[in-house]
Amino acid sequence: MLLIGFLFGIGFGYFVQRAGLCFAQGFGEIFMGKGKQIARLFLIVFVITSAGFLLSGLVNSSLGLKPVGQIRGYGFFNIVSGILFGAGIALNGGCILGTLRQLGEGNLTFLIVFFSFIPGMALVVYGLNPLIEKGYDIQKVLLPELLGIPAAFITGVLILLAVWGLQYLQPPQKKG
Amino acid sequence: MKMLGDKRSVMVACFAALNVVMYLTIKKFWIGGSSFLPMIGQMGPNNKFLFAFIVNLGVIVGAFLGAVSSGEFRLRMPQNIAKAVIGGVLIGMGVTVAPGTCTTAFVTGMPMLSVSSFLSAAGIFIGTFIVYHFTFRR
Repeated sequence: MLLIGFLFGIGFGYFVQRAGLCFAQGFGEIFMGKGKQIARLFLIVFVITSAGFLLSGLVNSSLGLKPVGQIRGYGFFNIVSGILFGAGIALNGGCILGTLRQLGEGNLTFLIVFFSFIPGMALVVYGLNPLIEKGYDIQKVLLPELLGIPAAFITGVLILLAVWGLQYLQPPQKKG
Repeated sequence: MKMLGDKRSVMVACFAALNVVMYLTIKKFWIGGSSFLPMIGQMGPNNKFLFAFIVNLGVIVGAFLGAVSSGEFRLRMPQNIAKAVIGGVLIGMGVTVAPGTCTTAFVTGMPMLSVSSFLSAAGIFIGTFIVYHFTFRR
């Protein structure tokens, strides 16, 4: 299974590199007013993946929408985590995907970023974890359960919004 | 197809399709941040983090192959080391306080309609805005 995962990873890495995908750069584009091309790429990912995940439940009943690795459920700590993570990716100019991609492209700055994850993770796991554990809601909740609305309806609306966004964020046309 | 007119869009569409194929074939999600916990000896339930770590090591190899095949590979020495270290430590803390990085939230969690991923995305938006606003725009 690990070998299969590694092979999928190679595929992901190849396509990410060729697409030039990095969410940190996407936020940079938005906040610095330099276009929204990464946002457009995200919408493409969202449309395809949303439809695929939703329809996977029709192919195999053990698939479909599921909580993703959120072993601690949801709540205030997701926002705290996001702020810390967001500040980190903005500082070094690479999200997780961007870091791995640029490392593969030969940018050794991201090797330092990669190994700097270790003290940050160790601080939380071995230092702060006992405090954090007390504050967690252990539920794993999906939006349809929370809102009481069928998943297909929510996904459908979000896909329509994403397609509308794609129309709005057309790639720049080549001149000539 | 007009929306997928350029090469980057086609590549990102292949990337998204591969994400769905992985879920359909081996019933596993791709997660980002928590995947690095094996670096401090945390493998996760059923080696979940270890699997994701291996996937992400594959991403480095795949990006290398993509860069070499397109002539974009270039060895560049580290720059802005302090920024890289501080950024890396913050990322390490962020991914451990609650799993939910860009990859987990944007590529897998939000399409799965996971509430925690929407909250993580809101936090990431706030965190990046703060840094961009107070450092790069000055």
